[in-house]
Amino acid sequence: MERKLQITFFALSLLALALILAAGWQANTPSWKTYQRDYLQLEAQGEPNEVTKAAVLATPPEIHQVLLPGLQRVDRCTTCHLGVEPFRYHAGLGPHVPSRFGCTICHGGQGLATDKEGAHGNVAFWPNPLLSKDYIRASCGRCHKEGEVPGVPELTEGRRLFETQGCRGCHKLNGVGGSIGPDLTGEGANRRSPEWLEKHFLAPNAVSAGSAMPNFHFIKEQARDLTYYMLSLTNEEMGSYFSSVRLIPSAEYGRQLFVEKNCIACHAIGGVGAKTAPDLLGVIKRHSTEWLDEQLVNPELVYPGSAMPEYDLETNARKALVAYLASATPEDAQLILSKKTRTMTPEDVAIEAGKQDFARFGCVGCHGTELQGGVANPNAQGGEVPSLLHVSDDYTKDEVIGIIRNGRVPPLDNAAGPAPPLYMPSWKHVLSDEDINRIADYLWSKQQKQKDAW
Amino acid sequence: MNLIREIWQSIVRRDPLSTDKGKSELVFLNVWLHIHPAKVKKENMKFRHTFYLGFITFFLFLILLTTGIALMVYYRPYPPQAYQDMKDLQFVVFMGPFLRNMHRWAAHGMVICVFLHMCRVFYTGSYKKPRQFNWVIGVLLLLLTLGLSFTGYLLPWDQLAYWAITVGTNIGSYAPLIGGQVRELLLGGHSVGEGALIRFYVLHVAVLPALMILLTIVHFWRVRKDGGLSRPIWKLKPKTEALVTIGAPAAAAPLQAAAASKEKTYGLMEVVTGKPIFETVTPEEEEDSVFSYPYAFVREAVVLMATVTTVMTMSLLLNAPLEELANPAKTPNPAKAPWYFLGLQELVSHSALLGGVVAPALMVLALLAIPYLDRNPSRRLGDRKMILLLFSIFVFANLALIVVGTFFRGPGWALIPPWVHVVGGAE
Repeated sequence: MERKLQITFFALSLLALALILAAGWQANTPSWKTYQRDYLQLEAQGEPNEVTKAAVLATPPEIHQVLLPGLQRVDRCTTCHLGVEPFRYHAGLGPHVPSRFGCTICHGGQGLATDKEGAHGNVAFWPNPLLSKDYIRASCGRCHKEGEVPGVPELTEGRRLFETQGCRGCHKLNGVGGSIGPDLTGEGANRRSPEWLEKHFLAPNAVSAGSAMPNFHFIKEQARDLTYYMLSLTNEEMGSYFSSVRLIPSAEYGRQLFVEKNCIACHAIGGVGAKTAPDLLGVIKRHSTEWLDEQLVNPELVYPGSAMPEYDLETNARKALVAYLASATPEDAQLILSKKTRTMTPEDVAIEAGKQDFARFGCVGCHGTELQGGVANPNAQGGEVPSLLHVSDDYTKDEVIGIIRNGRVPPLDNAAGPAPPLYMPSWKHVLSDEDINRIADYLWSKQQKQKDAW
Repeated sequence: MNLIREIWQSIVRRDPLSTDKGKSELVFLNVWLHIHPAKVKKENMKFRHTFYLGFITFFLFLILLTTGIALMVYYRPYPPQAYQDMKDLQFVVFMGPFLRNMHRWAAHGMVICVFLHMCRVFYTGSYKKPRQFNWVIGVLLLLLTLGLSFTGYLLPWDQLAYWAITVGTNIGSYAPLIGGQVRELLLGGHSVGEGALIRFYVLHVAVLPALMILLTIVHFWRVRKDGGLSRPIWKLKPKTEALVTIGAPAAAAPLQAAAASKEKTYGLMEVVTGKPIFETVTPEEEEDSVFSYPYAFVREAVVLMATVTTVMTMSLLLNAPLEELANPAKTPNPAKAPWYFLGLQELVSHSALLGGVVAPALMVLALLAIPYLDRNPSRRLGDRKMILLLFSIFVFANLALIVVGTFFRGPGWALIPPWVHVVGGAE
């Protein structure tokens, strides 16, 4: 017995030693060392003489990394991908040199990892796997969160679609939006493959059965644009350097906004344009840039009772508009005006504000950009979201205002069936009474036109 | 050569191990070994008496101390660096994964072994007089083990850690009046964040290990002072009415010194009167004893190496989990506490106050009070049917709740068997 125990003790001690050696061997033979050895051998072949050849081969294996505290990441990609620099030319980087930006900010993947599966990020619990070639440009939107991103029209279009198709009616993004669908803040870090997203936008039910999301009948390009936008929503915390370097607020972008938002319908530049609102020639001399910015954020805060709508412009969009106003001339206003035909009355302005709200808060998602409704809503009466084109036939304005304020669950088609997936949320905590009144005004303005058309 | 012998002698200061005196001196002249008696009863060394569970627990604790100190070198206790340090351990630190795996598996093993050790002590009736207080120390050590495991759970700062601690501390907040404050004190805020991480870190690497070491010393000391290991139940005399205190002189009678044999020498500090508190042994039992060296030591060494090799083998084969970076905005469904608290979470899902406060408080109080509530002096299984049944129900209820909480609870804490595949939540 005692002898056996002693032998067991020594055997177990030897086993423990063997296990430590095994763990050490495992730790000492990572795959990246093999890649580096192969690379050095290739490099040595090109050396002219034995001395330099030996020197190349004697390079000790080591981990290469780019430390990027501002981007909250450490990229070790070049530990295996040794040839990236200086032997291969990475085209089209512009100012985004790898030494300052690393690799994973655009390519995705797990920069910290030093084995192939882990680094390419196709492993459990890594939210950002490597993006395929077709979708890498979506990453631009991770830092360039506003305005137009040069070279990535998909992102601009995706953002425009998101804001104009009423996605926010159901989905929250950065705290604003409905709660019928999932919150999309950080959607780009949810491991959904781009292919899944694209299929989802083309036919929501095809990839997630029973989804309440209406089919918006997007075309393939639009589905891709939205996919780009979704992939860019990683919600990463980045250093101020990277998050503040966005699109430069150029005067050209400002002019584009000036046209898009139809400013000339109320304002004039040097007497050219409408007289409803103040003339904007020399406005930057009359007011400070801060004042103008404030005015664009919330017109009523500066001028109580101002009829100017809130346009929900991003920081750089506002800067761009101010930059344009600094250089705007009556001649340019004439040029803009020549492409417009109609000027607006104060009533038109209020209705335009209501239309902006109707789009901005996502009403269009279900009720349609032309109030046509028609989004499928199983087991609701009529089986779809009602059209608002004839709302004044069935309701008074006050009743409609009440429905917007308090929300409404649609009457059931079959009382025993399941509740319809879509319902009218209550807006009273999101919208001010004035916003709601404007939306009602907008709805009624459409009724009038309909009736005129009759 | 003489000088070397002299240096060696100055270190060991004992007779050769071939002599009985040398074997005794090896034990009681050595500060580390003198926690052992110089001689142990043969029967007490039997594997099937204790399964060496106390030793295994202690050895796991030693593994945790050594690997834990090594891990501290690579760890910064503030988010999100804490998570990056986990990734660095995984990908760039030499033998980092092995180190972290050893720490993780030894920690889980320790929770399990402490529990099994407690069961062994209960079933053999070893908490009975004169060992009541050492049982209480043992229950405190169980709580400390759970506390150490729980505080360590947060440190990787991944989703698993974040939400397990969120759920775990929420359970505590159901206590009336003080629950909310205790949670706030523990977390350094209203939710798990930077404040909670540094607090848990300090508890995990300083406060709790220090308490653990202190109480372990007391626990070991009391094992010796309460008369060594309890006798195996198969050595108990049938139908004993009172405690085995054979050979002890009656109260107030003077201690009678045995005639000094020529081989043995005794040093006595003082002769006092009174009955000793611990079990004493008969001359026959004395005969049944062997020297701790080498009999007890070789067994302990085998158990030590078996524990170490088991943990190492597991660490080579199985990687400790590491999920995504903690994200307070993204709640996993279901969010689960660490496995040893899943029984509690299961109870909480039925009633927050009863399951989260009353039941655990009663459980701990009952465990602490067992040696004082159980007035039956007999350690024989046949005499203790009722309490054995009660304790077995307690053990199996706990295990069953943990199994249900771990494997049978799906999204929304719905009852879903593990063999049913659930398609991920709302898309």
